[in-house]
Amino acid sequence: MANTALPAAKADARTTGQRLVNQWLANIHSAPERGQPVAYIFVMGNAVEILRTFDFELVFPEINSLQTGVRKAAPDFLAKAEDYGFSPDVCSYVKADVGLMLSNMEHPSGTHIPKPDIAIASSLCNVYIKWAEIWERHFGVPAFVLDIPGKRFANWQPLPGTPQYGADKRWVEGQLCDLIERCEHITGKKFDPDRLAEVESNVNEMIRLWVEILKLNQQRPAPYNSMLDGLTYIGVLNAWRGTPEGVEYMRLLHDEVAGKVARGEGRVQEERFRLIFSGTPCYVNMRRMVDLFESHGGVFAASDYLTYAAGGLDSSGLFYDPSRPLESLAEVTTLASQLGLSNHFFSHQTLAQQVKEYAADGIVYHGIKSCRTVATSMADNREYVTSRYGLPTLYIESDLIDPRYWSDAQIKNRVDAFFEVLEQRTLKGGR
Amino acid sequence: MVYVAGIDVGSTQAKAVVLNDQAQIVGEAILDVEMNMGTAAQQVFDLVVANAGLTADAIAFTVATGYGRYRVTFGDLQVTEISCHARGATAEFPRTRTVLDIGGQDTKAIRIGDAGEVMDFAMNDKCAAGTGRFLGAASFALELPLSDLGPLAMKATAPVKITTTCTVFAESEIIGHLAKGHRPEDVLAGMHYAIATRCASLVRRVGLTPEITFTGGVSRNAAMVSLLQQVLGTPLNVSAQGHFMGAIGAALYALDHARSGSRQPHVEEVAP
Ligand code: SF4
Repeated sequence: MANTALPAAKADARTTGQRLVNQWLANIHSAPERGQPVAYIFVMGNAVEILRTFDFELVFPEINSLQTGVRKAAPDFLAKAEDYGFSPDVCSYVKADVGLMLSNMEHPSGTHIPKPDIAIASSLCNVYIKWAEIWERHFGVPAFVLDIPGKRFANWQPLPGTPQYGADKRWVEGQLCDLIERCEHITGKKFDPDRLAEVESNVNEMIRLWVEILKLNQQRPAPYNSMLDGLTYIGVLNAWRGTPEGVEYMRLLHDEVAGKVARGEGRVQEERFRLIFSGTPCYVNMRRMVDLFESHGGVFAASDYLTYAAGGLDSSGLFYDPSRPLESLAEVTTLASQLGLSNHFFSHQTLAQQVKEYAADGIVYHGIKSCRTVATSMADNREYVTSRYGLPTLYIESDLIDPRYWSDAQIKNRVDAFFEVLEQRTLKGGR
Repeated sequence: MVYVAGIDVGSTQAKAVVLNDQAQIVGEAILDVEMNMGTAAQQVFDLVVANAGLTADAIAFTVATGYGRYRVTFGDLQVTEISCHARGATAEFPRTRTVLDIGGQDTKAIRIGDAGEVMDFAMNDKCAAGTGRFLGAASFALELPLSDLGPLAMKATAPVKITTTCTVFAESEIIGHLAKGHRPEDVLAGMHYAIATRCASLVRRVGLTPEITFTGGVSRNAAMVSLLQQVLGTPLNVSAQGHFMGAIGAALYALDHARSGSRQPHVEEVAP
């Protein structure tokens, strides 16, 4: 080694991701003094592409809330909201955010979250709309509700070419035009379609790489755990969607994951069972939860959560056509909601498909009482996969960020029993 | 002669059995868990070995189950109650396809495959509604020993409709009904019915496939057995050893291990 020059230190995905997250938070913090407008948006059904063309700093209140969980600071914020009068059964993301408002928007990451200049909710979770109403009252900023039609029946999709699709798309496009007008008014800038096209090209590249990254986890052993590593990836994807930095991160990440696959490196040392995680994560104890599974050699190769959290953009080859940016934004927004996000209601077939693609041995459902949007369909879904495919499933329950709902002994007991089922099936050769 | 032990350390009681190499029970013991699960495990083990007329070094293999299984520091292997109840139930009733175990803190319905393996299971959600704890609350409120509850409930003539299955609210609801002049047996019958419907829903969740074997401490309660049969519309197998079923299953796993070491359900050697 002595006479070979050391290669220049190569940026790796992890440090780049960390740096980008820090920079994003710093940008939010300093937005008011830099005169940058601030937008509050959700991960499902937002219009990031338009906001980027007007240089809004993006605040994701869901991410603020989950971060209180990751940083083990959630109880204080939840308590403030409950003291104020919120029921313990209300979505804990909402409560943590209310707690943050009652704490003068001082986030435990050290970021002061500025008030929004615009707040966008979508119809993809009805709690979003109520949540945005809380912002309206608290910050005095009118919310903009994007009404995106989802799937209306199982096995029925208003796909391109159908009259229904045309109507849905026009409905969304009209709202996007209203939004543009609102943004022009707030920022005093004129809408620039070329800028939108540029943002869309960046998103296309990010999503192309993201879909590749998801596919790489179909390899055995899986190079990463969807519910630990995957959660970090998705955070950067959201915060930097549509930017050159985001593209660069995705490229680094893709190369890193592909390298692991080429070297046969798995997330767990001895991968024994490949699992799918369905539902929203337990951010307050996610590492512990993943440990409980990995200690048995079980890795989460895939999760429908990654689709929700990517705004449904990873579903079946959705790309923008930057040559007609606005129309294409309306099309993709409509389809992403129908193909990806309506899965809250009709997720069984998508999950069954993932079981095949990822060669899964079982599905783990994580039910959260306070997130009815996602938890409501779980019973049906579970019934479908067990009766149709005889696949072992496990249902466990806790919360997004509220540690009071985590009962370690109970969860461990269920997880251990689930692996006993998987082991017995393996011994029987029924896998 | 080879002897093995199965120890089931639950939230309220520790149970143990010793089997000989013919899988016959040669000793059993039961103790209340007071403060410390680890101490209770050791005591129940000492007791079962003495009851079997043996000494500890005669036990070739010990399997621990129940919530306290990792506290059994002298155990050779830990297996969850789900696998153990399934194993115990199918050993006594080989045509068992569904097991219902009502425990102190968890109620479980287990679907069994043709080879006696666990196919699926469902457990009560986080709260203790529909578990043995609910009867514990009744025994406390009525100041009656647990073993008297079933026989008394059987005497009911006008069962009261109990609206809560919340263990915390149960006590105040019972007191409320008594204050209104309802007889204790009618209130108790209502409570049994509330638990039975809750448990029946768990059984349906894994698919109500006969034969159904009812295990756990509550299987000794005749009122519960008859109500469950009524609600599920099918007879239940109930073992005279129902409350030892977890320990028996654990001991059967221990016996497999002592014989060949080949049939481990899931191996995590010794407590972490
Ligand atoms: S999807 Fe669930 S977690 Fe997200 S806002 Fe809606 S209820 Fe809350």
